[in-house]
Amino acid sequence: MTYRDISAATPYGTAPVTTSLADILERVLDKGIVIAGDIKIDLLDIELLTIRLRLFISSVETARKAGIDWWETDPALSSRAARRAVDEENQQLRERVAELERKHEQELDASPAPRRARREVSR
Amino acid sequence: VTKAQAPAATKAAADGVLTCVFAVCRTGDPAALARAPGHRGGGSVGLLELGGPLRAVTQDVPSSLFAEDALRSRLEDSAELEACVRTHHAVVTAAAAAGPVVPLPLATLFTEAGRAREALTGKRPQFTAVLDRVEGCAEWAVKVYTTQHGAGPTGSDPAEHTGSGRAYLTRVRERERDRHARQDAALTSAARVHEAVSRLAVDSVRRRPHGTGITGRDRVQVMNGAYLVTHARTAEMTSLVTAMRDDPEHGLDIEATGPWAPYSFTGGASL
Repeated sequence: MTYRDISAATPYGTAPVTTSLADILERVLDKGIVIAGDIKIDLLDIELLTIRLRLFISSVETARKAGIDWWETDPALSSRAARRAVDEENQQLRERVAELERKHEQELDASPAPRRARREVSR
Repeated sequence: VTKAQAPAATKAAADGVLTCVFAVCRTGDPAALARAPGHRGGGSVGLLELGGPLRAVTQDVPSSLFAEDALRSRLEDSAELEACVRTHHAVVTAAAAAGPVVPLPLATLFTEAGRAREALTGKRPQFTAVLDRVEGCAEWAVKVYTTQHGAGPTGSDPAEHTGSGRAYLTRVRERERDRHARQDAALTSAARVHEAVSRLAVDSVRRRPHGTGITGRDRVQVMNGAYLVTHARTAEMTSLVTAMRDDPEHGLDIEATGPWAPYSFTGGASL
């Protein structure tokens, strides 16, 4: 667990090397009062920084609004067992579809049935 | 066309030195700053008078490493970027030990100290306002993650896998509903944590949660908050966070770190 005992933290104590780079980056790059220096580098032009910044953004933030699965690591899907269950289900569904198709074709072959009956079968 | 810029650029190249500004503070502690490591290849970290009690925390740095092209290519390198960012943070943190600070963005560079003074004195009212606001406070970071326990896969009973397509669709829908319910519950709890900590804070900001690229695939961060808390209320805040973390009803992993220099409360938009 990465929880740090905050009650033991000393005010502005020697910043531990373990302080998360992500925590520092998001703060250091945050636009506070911006003083236009003489050397201007748009930090967002730095490819590495852009990649890092992209890592900050959680799927929680945006994806759900778009109606897609924002929970990349949903516990129910994250375990191997759960994936296996989905795979199995897929396999069973494929078999079921194949079986239905076979049946459907057999019935079509067997009887030049009136339209109505056909529709029944294909449902 | 670029003649106007030529003298400054030439001078910097000739002198081989640029002025890097880390933060603005009042008075400051020169001895403590002199002990701060500063950027590689630079001089010692010191204070630049900005008029009145305001001082800038500065360091002379070699233009061979900090001129535009050199700096750009160094920041493209993972190790150099990390060293640069950590140094900036270390100097800001050292300055914050002596009193309120306004941290400046990474790599705020001027061709000489006089240019830095000129640019910074123009912003004195803003600096003073921020320093007044953050005096006697520190920033604390509180993050909330979902925990993995419970919520096993539904419909894993083999017997359920046979049956009609309609039964299958029902199972899918139920699974979706369960998942949304869990997500909603986590977000609601996270919002409650944010509200509770905010009540103790002078100011608060919800940052974008970190993605699983940072947290790891098994940890979903649902809340990333920053809180400006007075030193007097720090103990209260830490016990509140501990209590919420230990509350089984929340079922959340809560992480708090600090104290930070007030990076998130200098008046800019959050990342």
